[in-house]
Amino acid sequence: MAPLLETHALRREFGALVAVADVSMQVEQGTLHSIIGPNGAGKTTFFNLLNGTLKPTSGRVLFKGQEITHLPVHRTAHLGIGRSFQITNIFPNLSVFENIRLAAQALGSDNFKLFRPFHRFKTYIERAEAVVDLVGLSAQADQPARILPHGAQRKLELGMILAPDPELLLLDEPTAGMASEQVPELIALIQNIQQKGNKTIMLVEHNMNVVMNVSDKITVMNYGQVLAEGAPQEIADNEAVQTAYLGELYSPE
Amino acid sequence: MTKSTFSLSNSLGLLALLLIMIALPFAIALFDGQSPAAVLGSETGSAKFIQGLLIEVFILAIYALSYDLVLGVTGLLSFGHAMFFAVGAYWTGIAFKSLGWGVGVTLLALVAAAVVQALLFGVVLARVKGITFALVTLGLASVFHIIIQATEFSTYTGADVGLQGVVVPEWIDTVDQRFRFYVIALLATFGFYLLYRRFVDSPTGRVCVAIRENEERALALGYNTFYFKLIALLLASITAAFAGFLHTVHQPIVSPNVASLGFTVAALLMILIGGVGTLSGAILGAAVFRLLEYYLERWFGPSASFLLGLIYIGLVFFLPYGIIGTWHISGFRLKGVTWLLERGRSQN
Ligand SMILES: Nc1ncnc2c1ncn2[C@@H]1O[C@H](COP(=O)(O)OP(=O)(O)O)[C@@H](O)[C@H]1O
Ligand SMILES: [Mg+2]
Repeated sequence: MAPLLETHALRREFGALVAVADVSMQVEQGTLHSIIGPNGAGKTTFFNLLNGTLKPTSGRVLFKGQEITHLPVHRTAHLGIGRSFQITNIFPNLSVFENIRLAAQALGSDNFKLFRPFHRFKTYIERAEAVVDLVGLSAQADQPARILPHGAQRKLELGMILAPDPELLLLDEPTAGMASEQVPELIALIQNIQQKGNKTIMLVEHNMNVVMNVSDKITVMNYGQVLAEGAPQEIADNEAVQTAYLGELYSPE
Repeated sequence: MTKSTFSLSNSLGLLALLLIMIALPFAIALFDGQSPAAVLGSETGSAKFIQGLLIEVFILAIYALSYDLVLGVTGLLSFGHAMFFAVGAYWTGIAFKSLGWGVGVTLLALVAAAVVQALLFGVVLARVKGITFALVTLGLASVFHIIIQATEFSTYTGADVGLQGVVVPEWIDTVDQRFRFYVIALLATFGFYLLYRRFVDSPTGRVCVAIRENEERALALGYNTFYFKLIALLLASITAAFAGFLHTVHQPIVSPNVASLGFTVAALLMILIGGVGTLSGAILGAAVFRLLEYYLERWFGPSASFLLGLIYIGLVFFLPYGIIGTWHISGFRLKGVTWLLERGRSQN
């Protein structure tokens, strides 16, 4: 079967800096595909190229065999590519519920109903209620997003990508800055979503125990390039990866 | 969270306010020793005078409301907003004076003109953001300001003197039909307010608020934010043009000042006084703005503008979220500034 997402020699330069250097990658349908690598390796930039936030310098992106290289970000969202952010990116003065409701409304066909109250559109209300519940924010649903503690904001960030029910989820360090005891809960939630919904997930994550446990496939990036790719065990055993990145982070027992 | 902002008590309150405003001229007439019939007959006196002042408040309120939609709700900083009003004011004057058109056709053409100018701003919108948008819209409005003062068009616009001697159709003539026009302006204010409330509460309006909060995030969710901003501009343009129409009918002269940067700043001041992004604040702000200006001038003469300046500084200093904004400060239906200010404070 053709991969859900593929890139061909995808490249992005910032002036003299090559943030993503001719990366060719295939992401299979229904897998959890992790991308790891040191800070500055180009992981976030790679995500930005995949969903159209940034334009590539050269190379191509294909989603379900269709060329999406030059589609702007609001178009790729409609194709079923969802994106969450490493640095919490929410609507600070709107309630938790409204943040998620807006995410649910985005891909619907009611965005240009100018003079009908939003609460008449039950689909989005119900979807938002379900997602708020799913990410465990029911108690804070009516609070403005900005006053949530960091961990809860990370859950909100996840809720905002889940609400429109995308086929491909690009999760950029979903646990960034979370207290370590909160991490397993969030990861279990992500795994559960992937398995139940047969979703495809691309995950950037620094916690190597998590990555080794949940991934079907891992791509290691360094200086914008793919250093290695394979199943978790292959990556753990790879000497180049050990020296460049895993050394002090993870050692197979 | 799923509640509508239209509660029953809310609607009853608005209805009561409307009735009070309609009864007000009669109460003033009685108080002044006139018979209530004097109001209907447009007889000279305090009742007629205060209606005139309130009509000016209503016109400014509609204008400020339209600016609040653009800046307060959608977060678009436009410095060319006066042009939206001026196009309506000049168009009405020219249609009545030079073309001899009736009210209906004039209004239809006015909507068309408002749409065209919103699209013109939309062209800018598609290309630049933030402070650049502010400057380019200022540029557009300045060009318009210059054109209406150009001597080449003075037969139509009256050049730098402005449009004078506009003949207003008798049935809305504000001298002979003061109370009728008062009610028209009052109803228009309520109508636009309710329409705006409804818009802000709609799926489209909610996205406008999301754009003010974080446009990049709205885009990443899949909203093509350009169209939402354009809709806000279109709505605001039509609204402000209508305010301009009322202005010309009421005065009935038009000064080029209504196209100046100063008049945009007036809108900014009104929504700052009332509370940015609150809609009702725009109306309250317009009332405070016009009534303060009038009464200070009456009581203190030439020192009025100095006093006005002091009062505005005080208001912005003590009520940084405006009157309405500070009123529901514990809520969070406020603008991004709240969040920034709070962060600033917590870092101190
Ligand atoms: N908008 C930008 N402008 C200039 N340089 C950038 C920009 N975004 C990222 N970079 C640079 O690109 C490199 C890769 O960054 P990033 O993709 O954020 O890495 P990662 O997510 O793997 O930590 C870094 O050196 C970073 O400084
Ligand atoms: Mg990153």
